[in-house]
Amino acid sequence: MSKKKKTGTSLLYQLIGEARGYDDVIIMGRGDPDFDTPPHIVAAAKEAMIHHHNDYTPPQGLLPLRQAIAERVKRVNNIDVDPDTEVVVTNGGQEALFLMVLAVTSPDDEMIVPEPNYNTYADSLAFAGGVKIEVQTYAETDFRADPQDVRAAITDKTRSLLLVSPNNPAASVIAPADMREMLDIAIEQDLMILADDIYDLFVYDDFQHVSPASLPGGKERTLTLNALSKAYSMTGWRLGWIVGPADLMARVTELKAAVSGGASVISQHAGIAALTGPQDAVDMMAEAYRRRRRMVLDALDEMGMQYGMPQGGQFVFADIGFTGLDSAEVAQRMLTEQHVLAYPGSAFSKDRKDYLRMTFLQPEDQLLEGLERMKVAMDNIMAEKK
Amino acid sequence: MASHTKSVILAQHRANDDLNTPLLPQVARADSDLEADGMRAPLDERIIAAASAALEDGQTHYVDVPGIGPLRDAVAEYLNGAVGAHYRAGNVVITAGLQEARFLSIQMIGEQYDSIALPAVVHPGVRKALGVRSRNPKTMPADPAQGYLAPLDAIAQAAADGCRLFYLESPSRLSGAAYAADEVAAISQIVADKDAAVIWDQGLAPWVEGAYASLAALDSDCARTAAIGEAYSGMGLASWFVGYIAAPEAWVPAMQSQKQIMAICTSTASQYAALEADQLYTEARARQLSRLGGLRADLLSAAGQAGLSVVGGETVNVIALRLSEDNANKLRRAGIDFAAGRLFGAPDVIRLNVNRSTAAALSALS
Repeated sequence: MSKKKKTGTSLLYQLIGEARGYDDVIIMGRGDPDFDTPPHIVAAAKEAMIHHHNDYTPPQGLLPLRQAIAERVKRVNNIDVDPDTEVVVTNGGQEALFLMVLAVTSPDDEMIVPEPNYNTYADSLAFAGGVKIEVQTYAETDFRADPQDVRAAITDKTRSLLLVSPNNPAASVIAPADMREMLDIAIEQDLMILADDIYDLFVYDDFQHVSPASLPGGKERTLTLNALSKAYSMTGWRLGWIVGPADLMARVTELKAAVSGGASVISQHAGIAALTGPQDAVDMMAEAYRRRRRMVLDALDEMGMQYGMPQGGQFVFADIGFTGLDSAEVAQRMLTEQHVLAYPGSAFSKDRKDYLRMTFLQPEDQLLEGLERMKVAMDNIMAEKK
Repeated sequence: MASHTKSVILAQHRANDDLNTPLLPQVARADSDLEADGMRAPLDERIIAAASAALEDGQTHYVDVPGIGPLRDAVAEYLNGAVGAHYRAGNVVITAGLQEARFLSIQMIGEQYDSIALPAVVHPGVRKALGVRSRNPKTMPADPAQGYLAPLDAIAQAAADGCRLFYLESPSRLSGAAYAADEVAAISQIVADKDAAVIWDQGLAPWVEGAYASLAALDSDCARTAAIGEAYSGMGLASWFVGYIAAPEAWVPAMQSQKQIMAICTSTASQYAALEADQLYTEARARQLSRLGGLRADLLSAAGQAGLSVVGGETVNVIALRLSEDNANKLRRAGIDFAAGRLFGAPDVIRLNVNRSTAAALSALS
C-alpha cells in the first residue's frame, strides 16, 4: 500500500470515507445543501418521466432549457447570450468546470489562479497538461485577489485567468472595480477568462457580484459557468451550464459530446422548472444561509479564531494556525475524536495548511452542535500543546 | 480588437479531426430516424414509481462518486449472470452514459500504457474521446468479412509490436458482429501472454441472438479487462444516460478520481431508475429480443430480395448494409436518417436501426 501522503481530492476522499462510518457525524465539509430539492421541481421531473423519457437530447442540451438559462444569465448576471449557439448544458457545475479548462488549455499553457481555490481546477488543469500559476491572497485582506498581483504573474505562456467569485473556499467576492481591472488586464494581455459564478446568488452584506462577461469587452473572451446545485439544492441532479461567445462555445459543445454525450433528459426538465418556476424556495434558502453564516462567525469569534470575512458563498475559511498543527491533522482529529467533518485547507492549496473550510449547509441545531464539538476538539489540541 | 489567443485556440480546435467527429444521437429524433445508438422503448411504470419515490424521499443530493451501492451491486450481478463475468460492486463505476464510460476508461486506463490499439472501424465516440487528449492510438485493420471486427492476427501483431492496451468492440457498434467463443479465448490468450489489458465494449451484447462470449468471462481474476456498456439498454432509459465500467479494482480509484473531477457523480434519478430496471430486465429484454429478432429476420429477407449487400452481424437491433453513394442518397431523399459508416471508418457502409420504420428504408432502396 502506498505511504504517500494524501493531498487534494484524494485527501477529501479519505475523510469523507471515514465520516461515513460515524452515525452521529456532522458534515461541515462537502458543499451539499441540507435542503431537499423544492417539490415543484421534483413534480416536473415526474412529469418528464411520463411524457419525455424517450426524447432526444443534443449534447448542448434541450433548447427550452438553454432558453431558460439565457434568460437567467441576462436577468441575474447581465450577460446576453443566444440560446442556440452560446449555451451548453452540462452534468453539473463540475463538468462545466472541467470543460471550460479543457476548452482554453493546451499542454504547457499557463492559467493564472488566485489562491486558495477549489481543488479540482488544479486537477482539471493537470489533465489538460496546463500549468497553474498561483496568485496568493490573504486573510488579512479578506482574500482579495489584487489585479496587480495578477498582472505581475503573467508570462508569455499565460493563456487564461480564472476568476471564481464568490471564491471557494475563501468566500471572497471580487469587487466591481477589481473585476473591471481584471478584465482590462485580460484584454491588454490577450487572456481568456474562466468565470465561475456558481455562488452568485449568495453574496452578503453590501458586497456585489459582477460577471466579467457582463462588462464591455468581456463576453468575447469569457466562458462563464453556473449550476443549479447550490441555488436550488439540486446537487444530485447534475445540471449546470457554460455560456460564452459562439465560436468558443462550438468547441465546448464538441468537448461535451466527447466527454459524456448529453445530460439526463429528466434532470433537464427539472432544470426548466427550477429556472422558470417560483423562486421563493431560493430566497428562503438564501435567508437561512445568511442566518447560519452569522452563527458560525459568532462561534469562531468566541473561539478566538481568525478568518477572512466571508463575503459570499456557503462557507468560512478559518485560520487554525494557532494550534501549531497541519490542517489535515486538525481535520482528522476533529473527525475521529468529535465526529465533525471540515475540509482542511491543504486540500485546496499546498500553502493553506493553516486553514479549515467549514460549510454552513446544515440545519441550525446541527450546526450549533458541530461548532460545540469543534470547540472541544480545539480545546483538546491546545491543552496538549501546553 | 480580435483576440490572437482565441484565434490560436480555435485553429487548434479546427485541426482536431478526432474531436470534431460527429457523435451519433443517443435515441431517435423521429420515427424516420434510424441513426441513433440507442432505442426508444416504453418506460415501465414501476421504473417511474421507483425513481419518483427516490426523489420524494430526498435522494436529490450528491451520492457516492462511483455510483450508489445497490446499483453497483446490481450491475456486477447482472454482468456475472448475463456474460459470466466475475465482478463485485467494487469493480463497478456507474457513469453518466456510455460516452462517459468510453472517455473515462480510455483516458484513465490509457494513462497506464504507452499506446492504445483500436480497430480501424470503431464507434466515432472512441476517436472523439481520444480527440480530447490523445493516448497514442495505433490502428489495427478491420475485416469487412468479419463484420469489421479486428482479426485475431491483427491483435496479435499489435501485441507483438509492443502495444499493451486494446480497445475492442464485441458486438461491433457498426455491424453487430461479435467474436465467437473460440476467438474470444484466443484474444484472452494473447492478452495474458503479453500481460496486456483490454477495454471491451460489450454494450450491444444484450441484443445478440444466441450465445455471446465476453472477454470478461475469461478474466477470472478480474485483472486485465474493463468491460463497458449502457446499463439496461432497451428499458426506455437511453436519454437518462446510465452506463457502466466494470474493471479490475486496481484501476477503479483512478477512474473514480477522474469521475469526481469531471462530474462528481451520476444523476440520482437515473441511478434509481436503473436499479428498478435491473429487477425487470430479464423478462423485458427477452421480449424485446424476440420482437426485434422477428423484425430483423423480415428485413433481412427483404434486403435479400432487393439485392442489397448485408454486412454480417449477430445483433437484432441493427442492420449494416454495403451501399453505394447513389443508394445512400436515395435514403436521404426519402428523409431517412442513418448512421454513416464513414464516421466509424467504413465509408461504403451504413447502419440502420431495426424498428418499424426500417422497412420503409429498404423500400426506398429497392
